[in-house]
Amino acid sequence: MALEDYRDDCTNCSRCSYCKWIPFDHIKSARFARACPSMEYCNFQAYSLGGRLSVGLSLLEGRIGYNDELKDIVWKCQMGGACDVSDKICRYNIEGLEVMREMRFKLVEDGQTLPQHKPYIDNLHKEENMMMEPGVNRGKWADGLDVKNLAEEKAAVVFHAGCRYSYAEGLQKTARMAVMMLRDAGVDIGIMGENESCCGGRVYQWGYRKELNGCARKNTRVWADAGVKTVVTPCAECYYTFKRLYPEIGFTFEVIHVVEYINRLIKEGKIKLTRSVPLTVTYHDPCHLGRLGEPYVPWQGTREKIYGQIPVWKPSKPRYNGAWGVYDAPRNVLKSIPGLALVEMERIREYAWCCGAGGGVLEAYPDFAAWTAAERLAEAKATGAEAIVSACPWCERNFADTVKSQDEKIEVYDIIDLVQMAL
Amino acid sequence: MEMIGKQKIIKEHKILDSYSHDNSFTLPMQPRLVVQPRNADDVQKIVTWANRTKTPLVPVSSGEPHFHGDTVPSVPEAVIIDLRRMDKIIRIDRRNRMVLIEPGVTYAQLQPALAEEGLRLSTPLLPRQSKSVIASLLEREPTLVPKYNHTLLEPLRCLEIVWGNGEILRTGDAGGYYPTLEQQWEMGLAQVFSGGPGQVDYYRLVSGAQGSIGIVTWASVKCEVLPKVHRFFFIPADNLKGLVECAYRLLKVRLGDEFLVLNSASLAAILSRDADGIQALKNKLPPWVIIMGIAGRDLFPEEKVDFQEKDTRDIVHQFGLELLPAVSGIGGGQVMSTILNPSPVTYWKLTYKGACQDIFFMSTLDKISEFVNTVFAAANALRYPVSDIGIYLQPQHQGTACHCEFNLPYNSGNKIESDHVRELLDTCSEALIEQGAYFSRPYGIWADMVYNRDAGNKEMIKTIKGIFDPNNILNPGKLCF
Amino acid sequence: MALSRDAYRALEDIVGPGYISEDPAVMDSYAYQWLAETVRPNQSKFMPRPEAALLPGSTKEVQAIVRTCNKYKIKVKPYSTGWYFYGAPLTEGVIQLDMRRMDRILEIDEKNMFAVIEPYAIAGVLQAEVMKRGLNCTVTGAGASCSTLVGATCYHGSGGTSIYTGELRENLLGAEWVMPNGEILRTGSIGSGCGWFCAEGPGPSMRGIVRGALGARGGLGVYTKCAVKLSPWPGPVEFPVEGTAPAYRSPLPGNFRAYTLAFKDWDSLFEAYYRLYDNEIGYYAHRQWTMLGADLGPAFWMLYQDPTKSLDDIEEFVQKQEVKEFTEEMRRSFQLVLVGMSQRDIEYQDKVLERILEETGGWKVKKWLEPEMEQFALLYLLRLGKKNLNFVYTGGWVGNFMQVGTPDFVKKYRPLAEDATREYQEKGLLVDCGSDSMMGCVGSISGGGNCGLEQFGFYDVADKVSTAAAVEWMKHCIQEEAMHNIPPGKEGMYLAVGKTHEELQQDLAKQPATHTWQRKIKQALDPNDLGDRMYPTLDER
Repeated sequence: MALEDYRDDCTNCSRCSYCKWIPFDHIKSARFARACPSMEYCNFQAYSLGGRLSVGLSLLEGRIGYNDELKDIVWKCQMGGACDVSDKICRYNIEGLEVMREMRFKLVEDGQTLPQHKPYIDNLHKEENMMMEPGVNRGKWADGLDVKNLAEEKAAVVFHAGCRYSYAEGLQKTARMAVMMLRDAGVDIGIMGENESCCGGRVYQWGYRKELNGCARKNTRVWADAGVKTVVTPCAECYYTFKRLYPEIGFTFEVIHVVEYINRLIKEGKIKLTRSVPLTVTYHDPCHLGRLGEPYVPWQGTREKIYGQIPVWKPSKPRYNGAWGVYDAPRNVLKSIPGLALVEMERIREYAWCCGAGGGVLEAYPDFAAWTAAERLAEAKATGAEAIVSACPWCERNFADTVKSQDEKIEVYDIIDLVQMAL
Repeated sequence: MEMIGKQKIIKEHKILDSYSHDNSFTLPMQPRLVVQPRNADDVQKIVTWANRTKTPLVPVSSGEPHFHGDTVPSVPEAVIIDLRRMDKIIRIDRRNRMVLIEPGVTYAQLQPALAEEGLRLSTPLLPRQSKSVIASLLEREPTLVPKYNHTLLEPLRCLEIVWGNGEILRTGDAGGYYPTLEQQWEMGLAQVFSGGPGQVDYYRLVSGAQGSIGIVTWASVKCEVLPKVHRFFFIPADNLKGLVECAYRLLKVRLGDEFLVLNSASLAAILSRDADGIQALKNKLPPWVIIMGIAGRDLFPEEKVDFQEKDTRDIVHQFGLELLPAVSGIGGGQVMSTILNPSPVTYWKLTYKGACQDIFFMSTLDKISEFVNTVFAAANALRYPVSDIGIYLQPQHQGTACHCEFNLPYNSGNKIESDHVRELLDTCSEALIEQGAYFSRPYGIWADMVYNRDAGNKEMIKTIKGIFDPNNILNPGKLCF
Repeated sequence: MALSRDAYRALEDIVGPGYISEDPAVMDSYAYQWLAETVRPNQSKFMPRPEAALLPGSTKEVQAIVRTCNKYKIKVKPYSTGWYFYGAPLTEGVIQLDMRRMDRILEIDEKNMFAVIEPYAIAGVLQAEVMKRGLNCTVTGAGASCSTLVGATCYHGSGGTSIYTGELRENLLGAEWVMPNGEILRTGSIGSGCGWFCAEGPGPSMRGIVRGALGARGGLGVYTKCAVKLSPWPGPVEFPVEGTAPAYRSPLPGNFRAYTLAFKDWDSLFEAYYRLYDNEIGYYAHRQWTMLGADLGPAFWMLYQDPTKSLDDIEEFVQKQEVKEFTEEMRRSFQLVLVGMSQRDIEYQDKVLERILEETGGWKVKKWLEPEMEQFALLYLLRLGKKNLNFVYTGGWVGNFMQVGTPDFVKKYRPLAEDATREYQEKGLLVDCGSDSMMGCVGSISGGGNCGLEQFGFYDVADKVSTAAAVEWMKHCIQEEAMHNIPPGKEGMYLAVGKTHEELQQDLAKQPATHTWQRKIKQALDPNDLGDRMYPTLDER
């Protein structure tokens, strides 16, 4: 696909501004009614989904050329997809998020990259991770862990820690707990250690299309060699990449987020939560586990018009509008923890506010990433919760860093930590 | 004068004299003559002539007595344009509940005609017999049914206006595509929508203008369905604050039809035919009372009144108050028959002492108690009997605003009393304005007090008057300039 | 024609460098507008590109901008949410004011039932906030996404609940207006410093310059604050929302009802309008579902309820027997929401409605009585957060007719609207969804008495032929209207955007008095012609 293939999507925008707000049906207050961090931070129309569609059309029509402002418009966005959900309340014929991604692809292909991203891309090429770390250290998070190493053994399930859990010191113990929790519950699970590679999903969303293929090939080959049928990951971004992007380019495994697995094991009685965790928490839906975490549905089709002018796809095109993301599993897990109270924020599930870390924003626009996180923390605090819990290391780290830098008074937890506390 | 053709012209001194003053403290000024047009064409001719000769015109639609000084010329040599001969009820449209009337039509004349068609109008509180419906509505006098007061100008809708420069414009949907009323009627239209035409609400520009921007030669007015069942109730109270809280709750859910608050002096003045009766009744009545009419108009009227009475009673009880069919021996029926009709020939405000000055303004219900304290304190300071002060609160615009009116009866033959009232009027008005009372219809002495505090609107009114009445023909001097 | 550097710097000094831009990509995002394609050369989606876009943060800044524009003779066009081409520059050489930073709800006076708002306080947000206090606001037909201040001061301000909650023109109380000459006018009680509760006066009500029937649509200064009257909301403090995206629904308590009322013929339907007015029942009364076509709409509403389905599946739905019956049952219908202020009230209203249906031979459409359908209807109609389903078929839609008047008047042009559309649908130039794709208020003003029907035509905005046909259809409607002595509808206003000055003058000359008075007002308030022809004036001859 190319931007040109999305000309109709750009033309179809009704400039209605739905993309700037959470679905109107869900609005509960003025304070937490907005959906789009980019628009709220940058304010000009061009920074909304609708604005970007018009910029896309303008590019296609040759009305504008490349400059730094255009790059800013294209990349100052987490690609969290809240706009896309709101847009699809009324529309079946605009793929807004795809257009935004396609604009990034086009700019990268035309050499119009963002300099702030370059070191990360270089490091990915060289060291196969997004953390600016040496590749050889990737397996160290699991040093001493009594779990199968799938470089040498075989298992039905691979635990893919992902770059952030592998390298971030504060998060490594969470990954260790997760894999042990599953092993102890009887899951035939192993890890790839040093042979694990970046999923490639993050840079794909930055506009680096080719890199995804390389990462996918590498990861899926080692999984296949180890007899893996199921991939389990604690990272929402990896989950999205495996669940949605890999099958799109031909690599299909069963993909489960850790929190789904834990939920299943609790239901089956294989994990028993007995200790009280007297905390009031609120749950942050990671974009990539929630609205973007819908399973890929294979499809090929052609466009035709019915009833004179309605453009439709034949056969029916699968619809990704956030309806089928992973929302209930983490909530069920939290509700299973004795003593713990779950209170909801105003923006949840498919219309959750983004943490701020995605889409290359954390790396290129750290202030914007922190601002976005601070907005979410304000919303979390408004519930009266003592802690915000999530199921993605990128969200958690961005929240934790913002809590620290802005002297916020709220705890940040990975859902795995809370489960561990309740065991 | 030949330009105004065969219109009736009055030059008799006695009649001119009657137009030279009114019941307010406005300085008397003799007009040059009185002209009585028969139709819009006549009005247009007069205005054209007045522009040519730079003659001031003072439009008058109601008969005596007048109270606001708005019909007394402010400048010499003015011509009174008395519209009372234009008293046709042009069309009653039951289906669309609209009536089209000329400016000389009074409430006393209109209500029976409407009743024959199963309609009625929400009126001001006991309008005098001679009160022009159009004048009342144009001056934004409050009406008794807040729930029908969709805007302060309701039920006024479309107008035909002769502007100060002599041009005619029809407003609202009467000023749209179809040039004549007959064509509009033929298309099923009924002059229902008040806005425009275009980007201007012309009817608002002539409202509250005391005839100083344009002269209205007909108006369409929205009617109510004539009630089949109609009952009146009282909610008495010793203090206003508690009553106001209850009123808010009732207004919020739009319960009831007529809805007003009176103090004992005001209710006594309304119900009694002479001064002794007022004095006696005043002492019997509770200090404050909400008067509430509940009407059943079309389908299941009994049931409607019944359930609204019950709902009202439930709410009233929550405030420790009572909904009563009668109070101090006065039945709801008696109040209903009084306040749903025009005043007796002797205007009710004049019954007690022969003369009366009013202070009225707009505010919100929650602030009224403070204003009452201010007026009472000023009255005490000037030894005006507080117990004589009538107070009328009329929730408007579905409860968002409230008309607040103090009636100060006095004996105009007694100079000391008269001077005291004049002083009271003056000091109270200043104090109330300082306190945040909104004098939305700044007649007489209020004009300077109000406009000097609102330079923006003052300038804009000058600009607008300059556009529509470039020669300042219409009632000059009434608006602060 | 870029701004002079002096002018740019002067403007930048007012708002700060972060809130002004003249970058071409940013400017194109402002120029891009719905309906531009119907009036611009080559069906471009872009209106003229603004010279700069500014995001003022206060009345003071707006005033300073307007004064600077007077100094440098720069035209200025404000918009709030910016939906559709009226809000865009109509010519070159215009700066766009994007009011989105002025988004506050400054005050909610619960007792006196009004809210004071800034331009970018949208209806959906305002409603959410006032519901917490047992109040509701009028959500205009433009929907939850649009500015309430704009509906009150600058545009049409009617919505489905107007019959009960009023038209925003009626609800407008005090207002603050930066006039094109750079002066500020505060109309009503706020001008006297007495609060926002009253719209009129003092004396002659200068509020009359604000809006009229239609509004100046950004063509005559900038409204920076206003108060709007609110109405009772005897429901929960927030909508309880259930269901899967996109068909959210709200189970509201027992004092709420949503009905689709259908009739054997049009006369009976309009008779029911009159009966509702006289009996004063109904919180929301609007013809809504038929906007997607009497033939195709019902299938869409069924499809929409199923989150596993998409528009691609609509043909499958049309074939279902259940849908066929549903379609026939609701062919001549409108929606009525009853809201009881008490249990007794809702019971009374239900009883009255039953009698009106008996009198008029109407019925309640069964499918819409199913709990989930009713819950969907309640949320849809009361929040109007899915209003832009108008665009669902094709991304292109235009609403013709909508001449507001009594039901007896609307009844007269209703067949014409269908006749003028049928050919375009049958030829496949517009979506063939049924020649009755009319929506509109049952009561466009408080208490009813006025209504309207807007005939929707859906064209594929990405298809040149279809877009051209939509323009032809609009012109055809105007011709047909003229032949049948019906005034031009909304299509006349849309096409006016693309007319030359001379063509427009010819149109305006048909109502010379109105547009001459407007010229005089504009001359007085906008001496340097900063505004555009959204405030139309007839040239001096």
